[in-house]
Amino acid sequence: MLEYLWIIPLLPMLGSATNGLLGAKWPNKFINSVALGATGLSFACALEAVREFFASGQTFFRKEYFDWIIVPDLVHGGSLFRAGFDLQMDQLTVIMLMVVTGVGFLIHIYSTGYMAHEGGYYRFFSYLNLFMFFMLLLILGANYVLLFVGWEGVGLASYLLVGFYFLRKSAADAGKKAFIVNRIGDFGFMLGMFLLFRTFHTLDFATLFSAAAAKPADAMGHLGYFTVACLLLFMGACGKSAQLPLYVWLPDAMEGPTPVSALIHAATMVTAGVYVVARSHVLFMHAPTAMVVVAIVGCATAFFAATIGLVQTDIKKVLAYSTVSQLGYMFLGCGVGAFSAGIFHLMTHAFFKALLFLAAGSVIHAMGGEQDMRKMGGLSKKIKWTFATMLTATLAIAGFPPLAAFFSKDSILLSAFNSPDGGHILYALGLFTALLTSFYMFRLVYLTFAGKERYDEHHVHVHESPWSMLGPLVILAILSIIGGWLAAPALWGGTDYFTAFLNPVFGSAEAANALDEAAAHSLELTLAVVAVISAALGLLVAFLLYGKQNDKPANIAKSAGPVYTLLLNKYYVDEIYAALVVNPLMWISRNVLWKVVDVEIVDGAVNGLAHGAREIGDASRHTQSGNTRSYAVWVVIGAILVIAVIFWVHLQPTVEGMVR
Amino acid sequence: MQIPFGLLTVLIFFPAFGALALLLLRGDDHVWIRRFAMLIAVIEFIFSVLLLAKVPVSTPGYSLSEFHSWISSPPINYHLGVDGLSMFLVILTTFLTPISMLASWSSINHRVKEFFIMLLMLEVGVVGVFLSLDLFLFFLFWEVMLIPMAFLIGIWGHDRRIYAAIKFVIYTMAGSILMLVGIIWLYHATGSFDLPHIQEVLASGSLQIVDQRGEMLLFLAFFVAFAIKVPLFPLHTWLPDAHVEAPTAGSIMLAGILLKMGTYGMMRFCLPLFPDAAHRAAPWIAVLAIIGIIYGALVALVQPNLKKLVAYSSVSHLGFVVLGIFAFHNISMQGAVYQMLAHGISTGGLFLLVGMLYDRKHTFEISEYGGVATPMPKLAAFFLFVALSSLGLPILNGFVGEYLILLGTYQAHWQWASWAALGVILSACYLLWSYQRVFFGEITHEKNKTLPDVSARERWILITMAVVTLWMGVGSAYITRRTAAASQTVIDQVNPQRVYEGAAPPAPPTVGAANAAVLAPGVVPGVVAKKISMERPALR
Amino acid sequence: MLPSSAIPTPDDFCRVLPEVLWCGFGTLIMLLQPFIKNRHFFTFLALTGAILGTGLSVIAGAYPGPGFGGLIESDGFSVFFHLLVGVVAALVVLAADPYLERENLGTAEFYALVLFATAGMGVLAGAQELLTAFVGLEMSSIASYVLAGYRRESLKSGESAMKYFLLGSFATAFFLYGIALVYGATGTTLLDKMGDADVTSNLLKLGLALILIGLGFKVAAAPFQIWTPDVYEGAPTPVTALFSAGPKAGAFALMLRIFATVPAATHLWFWAFWILAVLTMFAGNLGALVQTNVKRMLAYSSIAHAGYILVAFASVTFMTPELSGGAGPAYAAVLFYLVSYALVKIGAFTIVSQIGGAGEKHVALDDYAGLGQRQPLVAAILSLFLLSLLGLPVTAGFFGKLYIFKAALDSHLIWLAVIMAVNSVIGAFYYFRLIVLMYMREPSAEIAAAPLVRFPVTVVIVLLVTAIATVWLGVAPNPVLRFILQPTLIGNLH
Repeated sequence: MLEYLWIIPLLPMLGSATNGLLGAKWPNKFINSVALGATGLSFACALEAVREFFASGQTFFRKEYFDWIIVPDLVHGGSLFRAGFDLQMDQLTVIMLMVVTGVGFLIHIYSTGYMAHEGGYYRFFSYLNLFMFFMLLLILGANYVLLFVGWEGVGLASYLLVGFYFLRKSAADAGKKAFIVNRIGDFGFMLGMFLLFRTFHTLDFATLFSAAAAKPADAMGHLGYFTVACLLLFMGACGKSAQLPLYVWLPDAMEGPTPVSALIHAATMVTAGVYVVARSHVLFMHAPTAMVVVAIVGCATAFFAATIGLVQTDIKKVLAYSTVSQLGYMFLGCGVGAFSAGIFHLMTHAFFKALLFLAAGSVIHAMGGEQDMRKMGGLSKKIKWTFATMLTATLAIAGFPPLAAFFSKDSILLSAFNSPDGGHILYALGLFTALLTSFYMFRLVYLTFAGKERYDEHHVHVHESPWSMLGPLVILAILSIIGGWLAAPALWGGTDYFTAFLNPVFGSAEAANALDEAAAHSLELTLAVVAVISAALGLLVAFLLYGKQNDKPANIAKSAGPVYTLLLNKYYVDEIYAALVVNPLMWISRNVLWKVVDVEIVDGAVNGLAHGAREIGDASRHTQSGNTRSYAVWVVIGAILVIAVIFWVHLQPTVEGMVR
Repeated sequence: MQIPFGLLTVLIFFPAFGALALLLLRGDDHVWIRRFAMLIAVIEFIFSVLLLAKVPVSTPGYSLSEFHSWISSPPINYHLGVDGLSMFLVILTTFLTPISMLASWSSINHRVKEFFIMLLMLEVGVVGVFLSLDLFLFFLFWEVMLIPMAFLIGIWGHDRRIYAAIKFVIYTMAGSILMLVGIIWLYHATGSFDLPHIQEVLASGSLQIVDQRGEMLLFLAFFVAFAIKVPLFPLHTWLPDAHVEAPTAGSIMLAGILLKMGTYGMMRFCLPLFPDAAHRAAPWIAVLAIIGIIYGALVALVQPNLKKLVAYSSVSHLGFVVLGIFAFHNISMQGAVYQMLAHGISTGGLFLLVGMLYDRKHTFEISEYGGVATPMPKLAAFFLFVALSSLGLPILNGFVGEYLILLGTYQAHWQWASWAALGVILSACYLLWSYQRVFFGEITHEKNKTLPDVSARERWILITMAVVTLWMGVGSAYITRRTAAASQTVIDQVNPQRVYEGAAPPAPPTVGAANAAVLAPGVVPGVVAKKISMERPALR
Repeated sequence: MLPSSAIPTPDDFCRVLPEVLWCGFGTLIMLLQPFIKNRHFFTFLALTGAILGTGLSVIAGAYPGPGFGGLIESDGFSVFFHLLVGVVAALVVLAADPYLERENLGTAEFYALVLFATAGMGVLAGAQELLTAFVGLEMSSIASYVLAGYRRESLKSGESAMKYFLLGSFATAFFLYGIALVYGATGTTLLDKMGDADVTSNLLKLGLALILIGLGFKVAAAPFQIWTPDVYEGAPTPVTALFSAGPKAGAFALMLRIFATVPAATHLWFWAFWILAVLTMFAGNLGALVQTNVKRMLAYSSIAHAGYILVAFASVTFMTPELSGGAGPAYAAVLFYLVSYALVKIGAFTIVSQIGGAGEKHVALDDYAGLGQRQPLVAAILSLFLLSLLGLPVTAGFFGKLYIFKAALDSHLIWLAVIMAVNSVIGAFYYFRLIVLMYMREPSAEIAAAPLVRFPVTVVIVLLVTAIATVWLGVAPNPVLRFILQPTLIGNLH
């Protein structure tokens, strides 16, 4: 199977094509079987491929299938530029592959239940499979160009799925926004690729990274090509992974069906940015400045998004901002050089955040489409399974031991704390964000499940979701519990299997910040305790405010008036962008470029010429008085002219440069 | 027995015979006129596909040459030849001609016979332009192409068709007459109209008559004619009018092929004949191209008229091509060639779809649509597909060209590429926004509820286009291998020492050098280029 | 002055056979006119005369050399022009037959005058001596004056004749005075005797200037073009055809002669030509832009084309000693252009005269709307002529322009070439507008209602000849060019 890696992405592609072209008339179960079959099969293939990969005992596998884009070099033979359809496999790929196919498969199953009563069923699954195809291409691709294919492709899938309910303007807008904001990031990503090619004459990971490793790193604070390239790539990552300042599309993307939010906007696509940074770790290690930028942006985003999450009332919006925030953690991890920690958090996050979204979906399903938490409450009794799983996920994300995020978040914070440049500040901010996280997550739980019903019993008939939806929830719940143990460090009696596993990939990068055991353990312990305390603190505050019905939140909101409104309106970022970029651009394009430059000036000049010619012609017509005497005068004038010319304008054929 | 003419002659004149035969058909028998014309076009396409087998893959120079002396004084010869570049442009032409015939199958109902005759004559002119190796012959076909196009716009166009037709003719004339002067001047200087021969003369440096200023004037004489056709900002204002007024078939041919004649001319004549002037003018042209890219996109963004929007998008896309050509970089040159072909398909497809919308609703105003994806899901799907290819989504045809152009240009002049890349963002903006306004949302106009989805005929046209689009996006190597020699030749002619050695090992990494390379990457190739233009056995 | 020893030999008469024959037939027609009422008979007679004369010019060419003591020269050059004006005359006669019938005008005098005019042009083309040239000029002019006013009952026609006559004689006066001055300066009127004239003598300069003015008037060079539109519009259309082709050719022929043999002129006239060319081109094209009457538009267009020819003259005159070898092509350009242009103009005016209908009512541009659908063939042929005037490939006009461009560039007159290019673009506008009218507009109700315009056989012949020749010259200009470039023609001009 390893030899036939291409089958893994191809299967979803076929599924997508089949459903897209033929599915319109089919009953749902056909469509299910195609979609699930495709994803399931590719999951199986992935498993098999991974098995062979380990069986073969190699740490890196790469295979070229065909030349996709090539500029032959006829002078020296070979090619000036080649972007082959080459796939590769290493530990990092394995992790991503498992997450994507596995979680993806679960979410497909979930969707069969969730979307059962929606129109455009075939469209939905066609898009979903299409997404799988591109995502797999993204993680299997062995060069930046092929990665970029997946990169843009998932953007397309996201565009289609966010705009799935295209009758809703908001949905269509959100889809468009997602694509365009991503394009802004891609702009940077492309330039990054160009610069890399300019420097290394290749975009193949293997050759590029080995060449890069041989080069000296840029000094801190210095814009060498490593730094510039990394920053450009990171710009792309910011777009895809919704980091400051390009995060704006993700909250809106919640317009899409909930499974989409779970798969694309939580578990897989939005983590692509992290993947790229991790994949390019060789370059980043050579660009300390870039690393710092990554860390700072990540940390800032984590905090920034968390604060917005505090006050959102739409259950999915809360999760969306939480996603942005968690992605921030991952970048923080990568930024301080703890790539495996970042990837680890990526994985655990895929579990619990997918779970959160799916559970939220189940809630919404139960509430008959209601998303406003203020209209919920007291659901714990009605939908036990959903509640249980939701709670698990919340505990996990809040970072209570021994659940997933406890380990992953800890290792990130630890590395942040250890990192030489400004680590402590990053750590402090990260820690505080953890507190906020735990607060807004429990706020969500309380508002949704606790207290008494705030919805109209007669209209809303709360009902537990079908097992097609609960099954995935349960599985993911289990994963979010045990997922963390993979990387349980020695301190907790675990052998940090995960880091060891990724060592072949990041080894070189992370050898740097390995401290001596003893110091490490004591430090780890303290930090862990602090983290748990902060999480508990968040829980406590949430309980006090929302635990039982009271008006504390309202009072606080009142007392902190401006801050509250600021948060509620998400710092007015969208409005600012509109005012500073979008509207001026539109205005200038319409009223200056088009109406003035194009119509008035350029075309005006052209038509003006034509008009002028006619005017002159018209004028000349008046010389045609028809009056013979005046004609005679003309002849005389002409005569004088000719005589004058002949007498006074002499021809010097030899003189050069005379105007002729 | 020995046939006096070869495949290329057949390619050029077969449609002409078809047109003559059409003349004999009864004017009112529309069905058979359509079928017959279609037959001719398809056979022509098959002929053109034969080229793939006959033109060697990666050997520079022209093949299948035909040479007959035609006029003794001045010595004008019937000299044809084809290389990778012209081959694919010819195939594009012969492919789009039947497509545009099918597109106007039911929408053209008056003066049908003339219509198809005009289409065929247009094909004659265009194919002739691509295959001529004699400047004079080239100019002849260049002018021949003008009249049928003007008629297509002027007779079967929309309300302001006559204004548009005259504008088109005058604009093109203005350029081509200057080009004629240039051609004759070149003849005066070299004593020949024969492209290969002139190139030899110029390359040998034995030419004393044209001084530096003269070369620049000559270059401009040609370049302006081509720039008008492309069209390069600010010579583009004929295009929106021509497109909006032209019938669907006209727009397809115009955007799909005629614009390429400009860029083709630049590659075939401007660069090889006047390398020095080209080098001196390149920065200015690049600036214009970049302005065109961004400006075209921004203006497209705010067009209330769907067809005009697509027209301006062409201005933007062709800007990429010109940039790619005048970066004088091997990769960008390849990209430019590919973008010509890709744009032919994708923009042709866009006009096709816009035409289909017009057939249903008889308006191009975006505000008249809205939510029509509901009654026409298939059309909407195809439209999205083509739009995506046009905004350069990977694995569709638009991406390859755009990417190579930007990549190559970046290698030579990173600032140019950085600016041009903005076009990638903007193209997404205007295409997706207009798409949303046309297809998404609730239906705003009651009568739109009943618009019919694609008919069988339309579906097959669109499927064909879609397949080609996808194939060009995935199998680009097939084409680039065959166009490589052509663009390599151009590169060698324009800068005899290659500015950029393919996968040459990077210079020994000293941080200082590296920084220089980043802080002012543009410098390095620039320097080399200058050195070249001094070292060339120049025309002075 | 004439050498007294000049006793005409038989050969001398052979050298003027065409003129003699044309005049003979003219007179014959006049004499027969009272006795024969059948108008077509005269057409036949005139046609025979014109063609015979044309044929005889070949025989005249068989007796090369000066005749009548150097008054006239029989060489390839003169043969060429005799052929040209002869063919023009024949075509005009054919075109005129249905016209005269329709307008119900007498045929005999008309044909006679045409033949006399033609004879005059012939003399002009052969003249090697200024007074002979003057005689030729007057022969053609006076005939033309009368022809212009041939539609007696039409006011316009009379007016145009009057103007033409007054201004014409005004110009002739310049010409004559010029001759006098040149004679004063050089002591001879024989061109080949002026070869070593003193260029610096003001008398000579003035004389040549005045001659130039006189000829400038004949070829309608701005600002002497002023009479053209009115006269062309007023004159009967076949006559207009004749004017636009014949007299111009004659006058240009004389100019060429003068350059070829009087280097003084060559050097003095360059800037005059440069300026006249520019003025003429712009006057013609810009004027034509705003015309609504086909005849006037074509009149202006013929002014413009005179301007193009003057460009070639400028480049001829600029043939500096080191370049003089290249003068041949420039001459050739002029001659070729005259041919292509004459054909096209006659063809176009013939169509105009037919479409015009009784009393030339339908001469507005709008009368051509929808012609493409009503009479496709006619529209196609007219478009062909227009495209040739516009200078599109595979038409005679294209090569005409091409050679002139080439001549200009050979003499490094780059800016003049560019100006000419600009003018061709302006020209493209109004020619193409007429095509647009014919094909892209619907006919007005009145026109649509009217019956299709008849095209009698004689006219069809004219159109076929001109159209075929136009295409033929556009595809294979070589034979004509070779004929022009043969040493006996251009060669002995230098």
